[in-house]
Amino acid sequence: MKTIKQINEKIKNGDAVIVTAEEMISIVEEEGAEKASETVDVVTTGTFGAMCSSGVFLNFGHSDPPIKMMKTYLNGVEAYSGLAAVDAYLGATQANSDDDIGIDYGGAHVIEDLVAGKEVELEAEGYTTDCYPRKRVSTIITIDDLNQAMLFNPRNCYQSYNSATNSRDEKLYTYMGKLLPEFGNLNYSGAGQLNPMQNDFNTTTKTYNTLGVGTKIFAGGAQGYIAGEGTQHSPAGGFGTLAIQGNLKEMDTKYIRGATIPKYGSTLFMGIGIPIPVLNSEIAQTCAIRDEDIKVPILDYGIQRRDKPTLGVTNYKDLRTGKISMELDISGEKVDKCIRTTSVSSYKTSREIAGELKDWIINKEFFLSDRVAGLNTCAPKPMKADAKLVRDIIKRPPIVAKETISVSEASKILIEKNINHLPIVDENNCIMGIITSWDIAKAMAQSKTTISDIMTKYVVWASPDEPIEMVAKKMSANNISGLPIVDNNKKVLGVISAEDISKLIGHYI
Amino acid sequence: MKKRIFYWISGRNVKKPIVSDIIKTYDVDVTILKAKMEPSEGFLTLELNGNEDNVLNSVEYLKEYGEVEDISQPIQKKEEKCIDCGACIVHCPVGAIKFEEDFSVTFDIDECIGCKTCAKICPTKAIVVYDL
Repeated sequence: MKTIKQINEKIKNGDAVIVTAEEMISIVEEEGAEKASETVDVVTTGTFGAMCSSGVFLNFGHSDPPIKMMKTYLNGVEAYSGLAAVDAYLGATQANSDDDIGIDYGGAHVIEDLVAGKEVELEAEGYTTDCYPRKRVSTIITIDDLNQAMLFNPRNCYQSYNSATNSRDEKLYTYMGKLLPEFGNLNYSGAGQLNPMQNDFNTTTKTYNTLGVGTKIFAGGAQGYIAGEGTQHSPAGGFGTLAIQGNLKEMDTKYIRGATIPKYGSTLFMGIGIPIPVLNSEIAQTCAIRDEDIKVPILDYGIQRRDKPTLGVTNYKDLRTGKISMELDISGEKVDKCIRTTSVSSYKTSREIAGELKDWIINKEFFLSDRVAGLNTCAPKPMKADAKLVRDIIKRPPIVAKETISVSEASKILIEKNINHLPIVDENNCIMGIITSWDIAKAMAQSKTTISDIMTKYVVWASPDEPIEMVAKKMSANNISGLPIVDNNKKVLGVISAEDISKLIGHYI
Repeated sequence: MKKRIFYWISGRNVKKPIVSDIIKTYDVDVTILKAKMEPSEGFLTLELNGNEDNVLNSVEYLKEYGEVEDISQPIQKKEEKCIDCGACIVHCPVGAIKFEEDFSVTFDIDECIGCKTCAKICPTKAIVVYDL
């Protein structure tokens, strides 16, 4: 048994043995946990990935005459300033107020530019009072002009993360990157065996061995602290998170980087490293966790619901090989598929962070701190909000027709049933195409007589389990006014139209 | 030898089977990496494989019907911007991007066909594309 005080003494004397979490694996394998706990004093960890829940509290100092800032923009990106007069919180994912720039230069990019020492344009507007007679202010600042630039991330450093794939026949742009159609790729994130929380996690008690409120850490290249458990903290499932703070003025653009995930948003790539004091053999054993020991659920992001289906489980070792094979259920058939994998966080930089933290300790620039309290145990709750699904507004039975009918018969159906969309089906009622009243009008003008000549064969369709928001998005993206609803076997169950959706929004008595 | 070229074909020749001509006449293997047809012109990115004389002769033949440009270095990675995440790797259609053993991301410029997919996906905009 060692204490953090003893370890700090050893660091001061230059006697401490510091290794990275990667190096610890072979030490424990060779010497055993008991011996390793005697030889090793500190294990350093690191992670570098997109941490959307990042931001900075900024204090601009008072202008003359003073202003109460209510709307505050930095390089065109709004920072929330509903705080005291000249304080604001700039969030990493805030988009630019200029629509043409949008997510290409958002909050995260401003944060990176501040760290880089670049000039940033500050514009603010307030309401005038006797304390704050000034209405507007516009000036150029750098990070040196700020009184405080306090990074405060309410949730980052996820202990585990899911990997993402896409069952749909269209590509998806998600926070896990671009997901190609029909399981075209599997994207994962996280440092695995280098992950700070993973290395400190006691799998029996579902708590953390050493980290807690007040633990001193590596935060974006500076020394920061753990403020407590992060939002949506879920240690029971191995999905713990941290709230952290650090001084932005001391950070380094190598470890704090503005980024844009295509068609998703801006985000901050953030580097975090946590030293774990090896106080006993149990902690030594935990620090020897390997990539292959860390389970990564494979989720289907093609289902755009809160609870995405889990298709299987893999681990970081397999993910890092660049491909995994798994058995998939495709249209009711079991299919073995090899899926290419890629990381959306940086293992290389995670390694560098663990290495740099190790160097700091060896050079006596960093000492460990005792936690003031452990992290609270909690489980995240979902938001109370009802989902409206396609199945809730589906009209039955479906009105469909075979390809053999004539154009005039089709037009008759549209008029009699007072509809605009007619799915064309085969003998099993499976979708082959769709015709609309506009197709009929065109057929008349062009003297076309057969259904197969005029129907749209590449049909955009919806499934009954989809939220109606997704259907609205599909209609607008494809510039169409209705689409068939089909089951897993492509059998037509009904049609959903723009009118059906507008009824939900513009409902009247 | 292997040679990658951009090929612009003029409008009056778009209906001529030029690519199959060079396959038959010069015995070169042709991979069409990209093809775009416009109303009065066509753009192709081709990879020609075969013995040196045949490849060079086929290029001469192509020049009779359009313009040939060598693919030099269509893409460059800005080292100071790249964070080695690897998000681009699976999106390269020809496998020109990969993780090295130390998990740094590297580009094989010889393999690159200049499709720009990686540049569009890169979260830190670390990939510059030279339009040719």
